Amino acid sequence: MRKKFVTIANSAVPLVFVGLLLVLWECLVRVMAVQEWLLPGPVRILETLCGNLPMLLKHAQSTLLECLAGFVIAILFSFILSFFMEEIPLLKRAFYPLLVASQTVPIISVAPLFIIWFGYGMLPKVIVVVLVCFFPIALSLLGGLAAVDREYLELFRSMKAGRLATFRMVKLPLALPSFFSGLKISASYSVMGAVIGEWLGAKQGLGIYMTLAQRSFQVDRVFAAILVVTLCSAALFALVSLLERLIIPWNQKTKWREL
Amino acid sequence: MPEIVVKGVQKTLAGLLTLREINLVAADRTVVGILGPSGCGKSTLFNIISGLMMPDKGSVSIGGRDVTGQTGLVSYMHQKDLLLPSLNVLDNVSIPLVLKGTSRKAARAEAAKHLQTFGLQGFASYYPWQLSGGMKQRAAMLRTYLFSSDIWLLDEPFASLDAITKRKMHTWLTGVLEQFRPTVLFITHDVDEALYLCDKVYVLSECPTVVKLELSIPFSRPRQNRTILDQAYGAARDAVMDALSI
Ligand SMILES: Nc1ncnc2c1ncn2[C@@H]1O[C@H](COP(=O)(O)OP(=O)(O)OP(=O)(O)O)[C@@H](O)[C@H]1O
Ligand SMILES: [Mg+2]
Repeated sequence: MRKKFVTIANSAVPLVFVGLLLVLWECLVRVMAVQEWLLPGPVRILETLCGNLPMLLKHAQSTLLECLAGFVIAILFSFILSFFMEEIPLLKRAFYPLLVASQTVPIISVAPLFIIWFGYGMLPKVIVVVLVCFFPIALSLLGGLAAVDREYLELFRSMKAGRLATFRMVKLPLALPSFFSGLKISASYSVMGAVIGEWLGAKQGLGIYMTLAQRSFQVDRVFAAILVVTLCSAALFALVSLLERLIIPWNQKTKWREL
Repeated sequence: MPEIVVKGVQKTLAGLLTLREINLVAADRTVVGILGPSGCGKSTLFNIISGLMMPDKGSVSIGGRDVTGQTGLVSYMHQKDLLLPSLNVLDNVSIPLVLKGTSRKAARAEAAKHLQTFGLQGFASYYPWQLSGGMKQRAAMLRTYLFSSDIWLLDEPFASLDAITKRKMHTWLTGVLEQFRPTVLFITHDVDEALYLCDKVYVLSECPTVVKLELSIPFSRPRQNRTILDQAYGAARDAVMDALSI
């Protein structure tokens, strides 16, 4: 009972804090009569959000679609690459440094190329999302695979287990907790990747909506879009967390039995 | 006839002569204890017997057949329980059956039959983190049994347990050994445990390791009485202690 109260109180504190900040923001904007095209108050932003909801949702839909597509492709690639890199040491030695080195190229700087090559459709955005997400996912998966206790592998070898069986029964499950931590990081990256891709030019999406609103100084719309982007990120993060609970319910590192 | 014979085994690890020359024999259906100072190469010896590691010299034979470097012939229980955190008890112990090609369902059914004997009834769906230390060891032991009922290599199976639990496990293990009659090699640091459970004890020296003492235990298994009153007990204990220079 008491514990429950404490939990509620704990989550209430930051909410109250954010609420206070918003009130302060609104008051300042009104008292100082800040121009609307410079900084609108939260109330105005909320009004814009509600007024433009159907439009925003339509844009959010394409952004989310790009995110999910890129995300899924990045996961698939990571699994395939990690499997081969783990099972063929030569491949790991050849590719691992390249993988790390590739991260020194800022994705944003190459994104315009994709626009040139693939046009204004969804494809270039999906590619950006894949590139942004791939690295954290692949690295966490590879790290998890490499960190598997060698004694498990020896036990399985002593039982004459094949490589595939060992990978499936030992390496993969033991690497999943690490994989999911990478997945959570890239969940928020993916939305960012899609939005950046859209900034450069798109037919639809929150990024292009923001760019257009910004060009016409409709700052309230920019803010509304930011809000929606944030919500998308949070939703994707929540989705990954949910999947983690479903797929590796046994990973109880953070919990303790019957406390 | 699973008799294990280790002949003239030598092994150098990381440039250090670890095992100089190990000769030992475990007769069919006997329990043989291996004692020795920490780091003398007992686990290394097990890695060699189980075929995970090749000796530099010497051979391992089982039932008269040279099996040096062959895996899958003996059932090896490591120093750690090595239960997979991702599987519950039943799935963990049925791993050896699944690896041998039994369907998952049949493997579960077969493994479930033995939960009672290994003191795990009612815990089939528990995950390793929900088990006590003793239960984890018994689960690891059941997995060992399900891989092969003939030959077990047990590497300090009870080292992590408290004295009371350990004592209970001894009584329990005596019953299990009586029931299945495997040939067992048993590494331990506990002299009394060795004398209580084993038919024969080998004491190994410091690195580079040789066999320092081979001692048959005169009192016969199983020993029901809690305290061993046999006249020969004190002498045997002293001999082992001397060899370990405790
Ligand atoms: N794979 C390896 N490579 C190099 N050296 C090793 C390896 N495994 C073990 N050693 C070394 O060999 C020696 C014997 O190790 P081993 O694990 O066999 O000892 P042990 O007798 O089982 O000790 P304990 O009783 O503490 O378990 C140690 O000095 C250890 O550092
Ligand atoms: Mg050891």
